Formats: sequence, C-alpha cells, structure tokens
Amino acid sequence: MDKDYKYVGRTFPIHDAEQKVNGSLQYLSDMSLPNMLYAKLLLSPIAHAHITNIDTSKAEALPGVVRVFTHLNTPAKTYSRYRIVPDQEFCLEDERLLTEKARFVGDRIAVVVAVSKEIATRAIDLIQVDYAELRVLNTPEKALEEQADKIHSAGNLLHEFEYKIGEIDFAENCVEVETLTNTQKVHHAAMEPHVCLADYDSSGKLTLWAACQGVFGVRTVVADLLELSYNKVRVIKVPMGGSFGGRQEIIFEPLTAFLAKEVKRPVKLTLTREETIISTMTRPATSSRVRTLVNQDGRLVDCRVDTVLDAGAYATSSIDNTYVMAKKICKLYRIPYYEHRGKTVYTNTPVAGGARGWGAPEIMTALEIHMDAVAKGLGIDLIEFRLLNLIHPYDLDKTSEISLGNARVRECLLKGAETFSWSEKFHRWNIAPNQGRFRRGVGLACAAHKNGMYGGFPEHSTMTLKMNEDGSFILNTGLHELGCGTITSITQIVAEVLDIDPKFITTLEADTENGPYDFGSYGSRVTYICGACAYEVSQRVREKVLECASQIFHTPIESLENGAGRVWVRGDEQHSLSYREIATTAKLKYNTDIVLTHTYHGTSNPGAYAVHFAEVEVDTATGRVQVKDYLAAHDIGKAINPGMVEGQIQGAVQMGIGYALYEEIKVKTDGSILSRSLKNYHVLNAPDMSEVRILLIEEGGDKGPYGAKSIGEIAFVPVAAAVVNAVNNALGTSLSNLPLTPEKIIAALNARRDVSGMRYE
Amino acid sequence: MQIEFTVNGKMYNLTVSPTLRLIDLLREELGLTGTKEGCGEGECGSCTVIINGKAVNSCLVLASQIRGQEILTIEALETDGLDKLQESFIKNSAVQCGFCTPGMLMSAKALLMKNPTPSEEEIKTAIAGNLCRCTGYNKIVQAIKEAAE
Repeated sequence: MDKDYKYVGRTFPIHDAEQKVNGSLQYLSDMSLPNMLYAKLLLSPIAHAHITNIDTSKAEALPGVVRVFTHLNTPAKTYSRYRIVPDQEFCLEDERLLTEKARFVGDRIAVVVAVSKEIATRAIDLIQVDYAELRVLNTPEKALEEQADKIHSAGNLLHEFEYKIGEIDFAENCVEVETLTNTQKVHHAAMEPHVCLADYDSSGKLTLWAACQGVFGVRTVVADLLELSYNKVRVIKVPMGGSFGGRQEIIFEPLTAFLAKEVKRPVKLTLTREETIISTMTRPATSSRVRTLVNQDGRLVDCRVDTVLDAGAYATSSIDNTYVMAKKICKLYRIPYYEHRGKTVYTNTPVAGGARGWGAPEIMTALEIHMDAVAKGLGIDLIEFRLLNLIHPYDLDKTSEISLGNARVRECLLKGAETFSWSEKFHRWNIAPNQGRFRRGVGLACAAHKNGMYGGFPEHSTMTLKMNEDGSFILNTGLHELGCGTITSITQIVAEVLDIDPKFITTLEADTENGPYDFGSYGSRVTYICGACAYEVSQRVREKVLECASQIFHTPIESLENGAGRVWVRGDEQHSLSYREIATTAKLKYNTDIVLTHTYHGTSNPGAYAVHFAEVEVDTATGRVQVKDYLAAHDIGKAINPGMVEGQIQGAVQMGIGYALYEEIKVKTDGSILSRSLKNYHVLNAPDMSEVRILLIEEGGDKGPYGAKSIGEIAFVPVAAAVVNAVNNALGTSLSNLPLTPEKIIAALNARRDVSGMRYE
Repeated sequence: MQIEFTVNGKMYNLTVSPTLRLIDLLREELGLTGTKEGCGEGECGSCTVIINGKAVNSCLVLASQIRGQEILTIEALETDGLDKLQESFIKNSAVQCGFCTPGMLMSAKALLMKNPTPSEEEIKTAIAGNLCRCTGYNKIVQAIKEAAE
C-alpha cells in the first residue's frame, strides 16, 4: 500500500465541475426537444378509495390539451418498478401506469398531455373524480388487523421470513436486554425534482433520456410493459441533480414512455417538489425489536430481531429491503446464535423503496442504540463492550459464508476514539453531566455495509476501452454519474494503469444502445466492481499496447517499460515511442486496432466499515439539538479520490443528522401528508451543519481496484445512531423513536422528571 | 405587459405575462438554464440570482417586478476565465451533483460583493437559504473562505 501512485489517491474535481460552476451543464430538467409536449399528473388526494367515476371531458375540451389518460384508456397490465433483469425474484407486479384504486395520497390517477405546462396544469383541475372512500390503513399495525381492507387483493402482509443461524447457547447468568427502535419515512431530497423525457420516432423506436441509476433496468421495465423488443428501446443516462437511491427504481419512465408512444411526439414530465416528496419513493419506515443475551464476560451469546417494514402502497423493493436488514448485523458483530424475523407490510402511505444504505441505516440504527443500552446495563465501557464483540479481519459473514475481507472496523473504533478525544469528552460530559440548560454528550456508533451484490445477486460489469489514433482513450461503460465523482475515479484508475494523464481519457456513461451492460449504480458496487472492471480492461489494453510496441521495437515485451504515455526498451528511454506513435503504427503497419471489451465478475464481498463519533448540545428548554463536533472513521481500503471521498462522508453526515433529528414524511391518520414541501420538511442548512472530521483507514487487502472499498452508502449508515446515542448520553434518556424532534426530547425530559419526582426549572 | 430590464449586462425590452415568474423568464424565454428550480417556493435556493447586488430566489419574483432592475445569473459569473469563486469550488471538491452549485455561487458572490472578507459565520449565514444534499456544506464553506482570501 506504500506505492506512490500518480493519479490514484489524489484529489481531482468531479469530471464536469467546470460546466457545473458556469451553469452550462444541461440537466434533464434543462433539456427540451423540438415539437415537445408537456405532461402533468393528477395525484390522488385520498389515501384509500375506489374510483367510482372519472370525467375528463372538460379537460379534453381545453384548447391545447392533446390527450388525457386514466386507468380506463391505459393498459391494465401491472409491473414492478424495481425490476432490473427479466425474471428477477421478489419483484411483485402490483402497479399499473394509472391506478384503478387510490392506495395513498399521491397515487397516479390521471395524466394530461398538452402543448404547455400551464395548459396541462389547468386541465388537471378540470378532471372530475368520484371516490368511494375506504378505511385508511396508515400504519402496519392497522394494515395487519384481521378485518382490515385489503390494499391489494393478495392482502396487506406482503412477505414474511424467519432466519435462524448458529447454535443456541444455554449459558447461565446471561443478561437479557431488549430495545425497540423506530425509524421514519424520509425524503431523499435530491435537489433536482424528478423529470422524465421520452420520444417515439417514426421508425418505431422509443428513446428515454433518463436521470436514473440504471438504464438497463429502465429498459427492462419499459420495454416489457409496452411490449417492445429491447433493441427498440434506447435509454440514455443524462446529468442529474442527485439521487441517493431515489432514482434507482423505474417510477415515471414507463408512463412517460407510454405517453410518447401514444402521441408520437416527445413528452416531458417535470414533477414539482411536492409531487416528488409524495409520489416518488421514500426511505422505508421500520420498527426493529432487538433482544440480546450477553454473558458475564460481556460477550454476545444470542441476538434475536423482529423487524416490521412499512412498504407503503406498492411493493417495489420492500421485500428485498426487509430481507437485507437481516444480513447486516453479522457483518459487524460475532454472534453465536442469530435470529431475524421480518415482515413487509402494505399501508396507505407513500411508496417506500431504495434509499442510500438500503436497510443498513435502519437496522444499524436499531443495533447501535441497542448496544449502548446493553453496555450501560452491564456497566461496561461503550468501546470495550464493542471491542469484545466486533468481528475480526477475514471472519466469515455468518449469513452468507463469504469472507468479510480485511475488515478494519476495530482500527476505526480505536483510532477514531483517539482522534476524537473520546475518553476526555466522555468523562467531561457523560460521567459528570452538566445539569444546566444546555447539556452536552458524546455518542458513537459502529456500522457495516457491503461491496457489491456478490452472494445475493449476479455481479458483473462490462467495459470497452479503445485507443484512438492519437494515443488518447475512450472507455465505454454502463456507469451512472450521480454526483459522487464516479466518472472521475474510474478515469483515475484507467490513467494509473496506462500511466497517462487523465485528460486524455474520456469515460462515457450508460446508454443501452451504444454501451456495454452494467446493473447500475447501487448496492455499493460501483468502485468495487466497476472500478475493478476498469482496472482489468486497462491492464489488458496496456498489454496490447506493449505487444504493438514490441513489434515496432523488435524486442520481447519483457524488455519494455512504459510511463507517462510512452514505451521504451529498458535502458534506452531516449528512444521511446509515444502512445500516439504506437496507435498509429499499429493501424498503418500492423493492421491492428487497439480495443478490448472485458467483463469482470465479482467473486468477493468484503464488509465496508465505519465508526462515527458525535458531540451534541441539547437545549433542555427547547429540545433543540446541535451537533458540535463530529468525526467519521472509515475502513475504505484505499481512497481513489480523497477529496470526493470526504465529500461523500460529509454529505452523508448532513443527511444522517437530519434522519436522527428532523426529517420525516409525516402521514396523518387520514393518510394526508403533512410534510409536502421543503417549508415543513427540514433539510439541514449550512448554519445547522457541523464540521465533519475524517479519518481514513487505508489498508487495502481486498479485490477492489488498488484495494478500494465502497464509501457512499456506508458513510450514512452509522450517523443517526451516533447522534441519538450522544443525545441519550447527554440527557440520560433512552430515546429510540426517530427523529428526535424537540417535542420528543421535551416529553422524555418531562417523563424523567415525573419519575424522579424532581422539578426542573 | 411591457418591461425593460438588464440581464448579465444585456438590455431587454419584452412583453411578458403578469403571472410569469422571473425563473421562467430566465430559463424559458432567455434560455439561461444555469438557474435551477429545486422547490418553487424559495426554500432551496437553487434558483438564486443577483438583483441589484442582492441574492434573490428567482422563483419568488414575478417578471413584472424586475422593471428597470439589473440581474446577474450564473452565466455572467465567468468573465475573463472562471471567477475566483468558481475556481475555488472546483479546487476544493465543493461540487458534486452540481444542481445547487449555481445558486450557491450566486449567494456567495452577492456576499463577497458586499463583504470581501467575511467570517465563517457570515459565509454560513449568506448560504443559509441554499440547500445542498451532496456535500454537507463543509467544502462549500471552505471554498468561499478561500476565494475571499
């Protein structure tokens, strides 16, 4: 790991930074096509109802309206927005383009296509819908009642599983601790609202410009639904303003594609912020009861978890989301016996789906709040207790039997604690807490996540690298830049292997027609899997370049050296050949094209680890919490682009503090949604945000390019637990019902006062 | 209605609908799509432009209110090469998805036009109305600080 790399491990700006700072980059919301029409949705204002009548005649009569669609004139065929590959398991087809029954406030009832946004919006108001209302099932508890109406015909319990692994140890003198943690629905809050653009041309080809995380998944869903063969559907990834899992699933592309096909003109659907909040996807709300047995030495003996996940009104990825929650705990702690029961439940609330970390933040929040409760119950130091139980490098993941790789979570904990001055702060705040109005406390949380989908799903990526005649390169990929710097880090890897300035490499994003296959940007797979693909295809192209050079030099390859875009015979650097000379000579003299396509297959899935430390100050008069100091320690293997890695972590902490303290899509008992805009959905702003110190543990050892492991998702996983634990330590509370709003904090303080009989002034 | 105004140093005399928002005038009539719409209610700051030296959410302003005013959008920030702020954002990895970046830069620019040496608190206050979901603001604050130095 000591090798001094030229490009890997150095900070580069995101590849399109210049276009972003001068405003010239065209995002999907900035794009328009000649002859384009505008679509506007009618979303259900009722959470649960049969539609008894829809009258669109007035809307259709409005000048400028081209077509109006409802469930009566769109296909009744159902689909799953979650499907990536045809025949994929657990993709429940319970959704149609426009619904025949309102299942949540925000369900798609009708759509207008018109010559302008204004006319489409006016036409929406002219559609008359009659509803026969049903009882609203706004929580899993209500939805699971025996007499509850069925939201979908198969019933409200979407799926349940029970998972048992290991040997039950009937050890004596164990201490049992049980906690219940609730996490809430949150909005991804990517700054660009959802947009779709589709065109259906005279040759019968459908083109979608998609701000998405997986073009091939979009093609699968759209082509199968519209009964087009895959060669007739082209999906092109275009610039997007953030994602965080909210653009993983195929939400509005099927409808927009259908509209374009029907009207045979380009159609653009632009959502407002309110529509994006209520009608796209949310992070799922979960409830996890964790029960552990710990022996007298402080070692975990037994861990049993019951999780209920609120899927909202459609299944989407929720079954998998619940299932993966059972696959995380054994990546973090050694547990002799582990049991997890999961239920996934339909409710009349906004649709849950993929969100940064995919189940890991939800279960790790529950687990790490629990671990603090256990340590406190046993009177063991919070760090000591974790060190006794954390996994060690190269332990097997009990749930998959796959190696956890060079897992350095223990270093994250120890070095992080030292850098954060944990002991000093802990003794200052937690042992002798300040009894005044403002109380400080520190908290920590460990977390585990993954690197790609190996072990649970097929895992491969394909790329084509070609050398141009002038010695520059084009890497064609199925990548999706979400704003994380993917294109830059992949380019750095290619540059490192080929030893050439990254400015001579163009890395292309996904296009189903002109690019190779990739599953998409999710599952913490991009750097680890796609990066490894970029590494291997570059190695192979480098070999080919050297083969050509060896022909030109009439020397065996073994005697060649290369660097800085040149090749020479060892000891004779003066007579080197440039990449340009090699590429051109290869064409002219040896009739050779230097181009290779390579498919990389994932064969490992090590853990990605982090330990976060938070210092908070709670105003006991108002219940407001301010994060005063924060340190994130990460086992990243190798940071390809440290500046962007830091940005990923700091952004994740912003999102995680919001998850812990403020953010919630609040649904009332009648199913109406209280948090419909950024006015009443609080996203942390600059003055709210703490500085985030970062400690990277770069020990490599796994199969990622240059030893790199994932960062974007794992960075979010421990944040909420670290903040909640800090608040509990500051106040002596045991809050575990997120978010810890001022009301909940004040209520907890009042309850404690009542119990202790002490009055607080 | 007929209005006269200046955008990025160029005079315009246009007939606009009284309900047209400034953001739509900029993006749709003038093709200046660097100004972004993230919420349409003045909460996210993605649409920030500078009107007579002040950072303003262009989604909250009607085109009819800009009569005689001087407007600067992100497209005007680059003059002889990139502005110091733009360079500093790039250098400090303060740009990720980039959707908030134009608004963030315009708020920062308005601050530096008035106060060339702001404190960290003043920087945070100046961009308090600009939401970013990618960066956690740390690098943005650092970039503005460096550009001011």
